[in-house]
Amino acid sequence: MPESPDTTDALLEVEDLRVSFATRGGVIKAVDGLSMRVGRKEVVGIVGESGSGKSVSMYSIIGLLRDPNVSITGSVKFQGREILGLSDKELRTIRGRDIAMIFQDPMTALTPVYTVGWQITEQIRTHTDLTKHQAQARAIDLLAEVGIPDPARRVNQYPHEFSGGMRQRVVIAMALSCNPKLLIADEPTTALDVTTQAQILELMKKLQETYDSSIVLITHDMGVISEMADRVVVMYAGRPVEIGERREVIRQPLHPYTWGLLGAVPRVETKRSRLVTIPGNPVSPLNIPAGCAFGPRCAYRFDQCDERPPITGEGHLDACWLSSEQKVDLRRKIQEVTVES
Amino acid sequence: MSDDVLLRATDIVKNFTIRSGGLSGRATIQAVAGVSLEVRRGETLGIVGESGCGKSTLARCLVQLMPATSGTVEFNGSTLTGLSRRRLRPFRREMQLVFQDPYASLNPRRRVGDIVAEPLRINKYGDAKKIRDRVTELFEIVGLDPAAVNRYPHEFSGGQRQRIGIARALALNPSLVVADEPVSALDVSVQAQVLNLMADLQERLNLTYLFIAHDLGVVRHVSDRVGVMYLGELVELADAETLYTQPHHPYTEALLSVAPELDDGRQSGRPRIVLSGDVPDPSDKPTGCPFHPRCPVATERCSTEKPTLVSISPGRSVACHYPRNLDETMVSHETKGS
Repeated sequence: MPESPDTTDALLEVEDLRVSFATRGGVIKAVDGLSMRVGRKEVVGIVGESGSGKSVSMYSIIGLLRDPNVSITGSVKFQGREILGLSDKELRTIRGRDIAMIFQDPMTALTPVYTVGWQITEQIRTHTDLTKHQAQARAIDLLAEVGIPDPARRVNQYPHEFSGGMRQRVVIAMALSCNPKLLIADEPTTALDVTTQAQILELMKKLQETYDSSIVLITHDMGVISEMADRVVVMYAGRPVEIGERREVIRQPLHPYTWGLLGAVPRVETKRSRLVTIPGNPVSPLNIPAGCAFGPRCAYRFDQCDERPPITGEGHLDACWLSSEQKVDLRRKIQEVTVES
Repeated sequence: MSDDVLLRATDIVKNFTIRSGGLSGRATIQAVAGVSLEVRRGETLGIVGESGCGKSTLARCLVQLMPATSGTVEFNGSTLTGLSRRRLRPFRREMQLVFQDPYASLNPRRRVGDIVAEPLRINKYGDAKKIRDRVTELFEIVGLDPAAVNRYPHEFSGGQRQRIGIARALALNPSLVVADEPVSALDVSVQAQVLNLMADLQERLNLTYLFIAHDLGVVRHVSDRVGVMYLGELVELADAETLYTQPHHPYTEALLSVAPELDDGRQSGRPRIVLSGDVPDPSDKPTGCPFHPRCPVATERCSTEKPTLVSISPGRSVACHYPRNLDETMVSHETKGS
């Protein structure tokens, strides 16, 4: 198979992923044409509001959506191998070993009836030939590595004996237990306090360097994206609307939705002022408008927006019919207004 | 009480007794440990802190939703603490709450128009027509279509539900609105709408806000003054601008330094101070300063001697033996009282 140079080091390649749910109310297109890639050692942030399809897209990739009412199409290549449509048995050799997952709520991600050591060793023994004792020793090492004090004692404790931040550390230790190449972190710090969030983000950065993993970070928080991600995918109504390097997306955003998203964040570093808002509510996934999904909430909508804009560009992509000159112009005006107020 | 103070709390303490595995089988958690503050007429006082710091409990004690263990609350010059339910009632009209979770705070089996009308009925606002007109007016004030009064809460999005919650709080023309994490359950774009709405209403209806949140950006955005709580205590109180640019308490400083910022050239450039450990268990509080086990600048003194909240310059109070970021000029009237 011929390979173009820019994809040779892609760990994960997603092509035109579509996920839909058949419900009594109609078909919900949760993900509607997502193409993205994750390079080796790269941190890709997927940002969007609730219902934008950011979690569902990743869940579908690793086969966590198994239901007759779910239809998944497109292509997902992990290390060059197609993994969409693999059987559960085949997926199990990848999931947990090569691709690990960190969930939002560390309480529900751990089972309350077993010790954390049992849960970590189970994962290690599923994927390696280590003996029970070796696995136990590895579990203690992992707990120490994620910064849990007194790991030899803590390994025999139950999840309820840990605080929220400590539980998330346990979940991270579990995810790292088999040196995964790709870590999917779904809102890993949303349930945590600010000071704990800082600890966990710091830990994830450190571990990413030691383990050379790639990370897909799913979040609604532009601040977290700003601190962690190399590249950003902005999603709206199941579609990617902007993809680019973090600095470009945050400093020179191209899509009107990204402008709104960035303007709506109340800042710690700037004074009281009026926030830029996006009028209306996020679209109902049952009722996505034809054409540009963001059209009904967009202040710059024009006739062409009745047709769905493709996501285009070199390196920094976006899905909007406005010309690049218009975008630069509009963005400058918005920034002037925000700075003045 | 001076005219511009709407609500004054003095030394509020709230203890909860819980069952525990100890010998007595019971333990006391001090959720609020002696907080004194004033809310001035027309201002927004923000209270910020992490989960378990007692900010919501404090709010509930202030508006008499739960009795404080000790301490007094005065509203408009009258003492509220110790009043009977009946005698509290006229004050309740003046103090209303907006809750965090717009899903849990609206009764799913009642029409939203009824939900908003309920406080009007209880307080005998007038006949059915008068109540209906008022509900229509309230829906318009908060930016909802008055035609939607017959719908049920599940038919609304999170942001719209929070608007309904705000309409209910405003029904009786309160002077004080206590908002407990009003936007933390909402998406960013909707959060911004609700924050802007609250700012507009404050101006239009002359409201005073006590705004409780964990999000530092949100608190800065809405507040005139900000109080920072840690383990049931108010550790710093100042006007928003100075608190955010020049935090005196090491906890405030750390909190601000780790709030994720957008990398867009407008960052504060503060060095990050990542605190170690977790917030201690409130049933087993450290001696001395509650923050000392995690404090990067703590000394021996901090583990034995508890700092009190003292004023170190006009409008600025801090509970710390070693306040940070002091101007040269401030050092002269430093913490002599502590």
